[in-house]
Amino acid sequence: MGALGKPIILMVAMYLFLKFVLPNIPGSAPLPSSLIFLYLLLTASGIVIYETLSGESKDAFWGPMQRFLTGEGSGGLQVLRYGVLILFPLLVGWETYGSTASSDLPPTEGRTIHPAPPGEYTGLSNPVPKTPDNIMQGKGFYAAFCSPCHGGNFDGKGPAARGFNPPPANFADPTTIAMLQESYLFWRIKKGGVGLPIEGAPWKSAMPRWEVELPDEWIWKIIMGEYDGAHQSPRTWE
Amino acid sequence: MERINLHEPGNKGEEQRTGSEWCRENEASMKPVNHIMKQVLRSGAAVITAMVIGSVPFSFAQESVAVRAALVTGGLPLDDPNAAAWSSAAPASFPMSPQVHWPNRIQEVTVKDVSVRALHDGKQVAFLLEYSDPTQDPDDAAAFEFMVGDKKAHFAHGQPMLQVEGGPVNIWFWKNKAGKAVDMSAKGFGTLKPQAHQDVNAKGAYSNGTWKVVFSRNLSTEHPEEDVQITPGQFISIAFAVWDGRKDAAGELVEKGSQKSVSSWWYFRADAPPDYSSYMYAAVAVALALGFQFVLIRKLKKGQ
Ligand code: HEC
Repeated sequence: MGALGKPIILMVAMYLFLKFVLPNIPGSAPLPSSLIFLYLLLTASGIVIYETLSGESKDAFWGPMQRFLTGEGSGGLQVLRYGVLILFPLLVGWETYGSTASSDLPPTEGRTIHPAPPGEYTGLSNPVPKTPDNIMQGKGFYAAFCSPCHGGNFDGKGPAARGFNPPPANFADPTTIAMLQESYLFWRIKKGGVGLPIEGAPWKSAMPRWEVELPDEWIWKIIMGEYDGAHQSPRTWE
Repeated sequence: MERINLHEPGNKGEEQRTGSEWCRENEASMKPVNHIMKQVLRSGAAVITAMVIGSVPFSFAQESVAVRAALVTGGLPLDDPNAAAWSSAAPASFPMSPQVHWPNRIQEVTVKDVSVRALHDGKQVAFLLEYSDPTQDPDDAAAFEFMVGDKKAHFAHGQPMLQVEGGPVNIWFWKNKAGKAVDMSAKGFGTLKPQAHQDVNAKGAYSNGTWKVVFSRNLSTEHPEEDVQITPGQFISIAFAVWDGRKDAAGELVEKGSQKSVSSWWYFRADAPPDYSSYMYAAVAVALALGFQFVLIRKLKKGQ
């Protein structure tokens, strides 16, 4: 058997108890695996400490701990000692409760705001010449199609914005279009919310899929008008 | 003051030692026990702090992101939008937008917020939808939408997503002049149709410029592919739509079909019956920790 035999038997017994005996106690239920893990960890650290205590070389390490925990010669630390001895089990209990009590909060869904675009939408440049006329036209399209959500002031506060979660992007904010290339906007405007990959939570986005309503040329003009109106410029890779 | 200053250089020197130096000295002389003791206490403190931080609940989430159905015994107000029982259910309120997401759009709608309450008894669920509407019209209508199954569905009638495979939605539709609910399914625009199995009831009551509409259904049905299945304790995605049935000067309905007031996805949950098992788990953990301390201290005392 050797020195390893006893700890292993103990761990297995503990596991079997947690897995098969405890759930059969009336009013109980199968334990979540995270909890079984926590209990086993506690047991294991107990065993490790118990076993390592015998070696003489460990005396130096355990000496002060020993004096503190056994309360021998710890003098003024007595209060602290009781504090630790009471607090530690309570914390373990609290932690256990916290990790097993069912949460009352809705699931939080992290949403990546700027996920990677599909390959064919990287590095496209705006084919529409940047003339005052085209910018004007783009702003006109923006006012007609985008401003209900993104706002006449490009601030995301359009008259239709309030019910949408996530809210329509605020183009005046430096963390939206100022961080993005025109090519990226082209993708987002063409494909809309439903074109997002899973990390962008496409099922929640109200951003329309404009490719079914607007020709590409209009979209490029809108992009121009959008940057101009929001006083931002597209990100470029120098 | 001065004493501290005198000691400082020494302390600093100690702290600047590298790890390997430590080991060597440790093996050789076993002297710096105090330092190790400090390390042990410090890491212990770190662990305890981590545990405390880890268990602090994040309680600043907005209440209105979820409709919660409290578990009640002794009957649900299935038919009665004005029942006293509703006052015991906490309302959650949700902002609405005119539907400008796909054609046909509408730029202005009457209803800008809805308030929703829910109750369940372990078998059935009842929702109370409330909103203000200055006039009662035959075409006033409202709907609930739910995701069905494990796949996410886009909030606009489960319209197809390009990179994610979506699921269907279940829509419970009530219209004033019909005086009942229609249980419907959709998976994409133009696919909305009443189901073969009608499982939902609805009843509306209008007074003082406010609609109160009760929707009810069994928590689970026999058609999980088309009906939302409500499992107490689980959060389910829910969305709302309202049509004000007013007519314009030409006698045409202003809000109809896709021209309506809509919400985004929010959450709904039917409360699970109280579950005390975590108290038991905590008690077991406390007992284990106490046992651990007991064994440890006993062993330490014996060892001396
Ligand atoms: C129905 C409301 C709505 C309309 C109309 C709308 N958008 Fe959006 N838009 C959104 C929402 C909501 C988001 C944020 C969610 C997302 O990224 O999909 C968004 C995001 C965007 C983004 C991404 C910004 C970023 O930082 O990632 C761009 C670009 C954009 N919209 C451009 C437009 C343009 C151009 C139009 C008009 C042609 C338009 N939108 C019309 C709702 C709308």
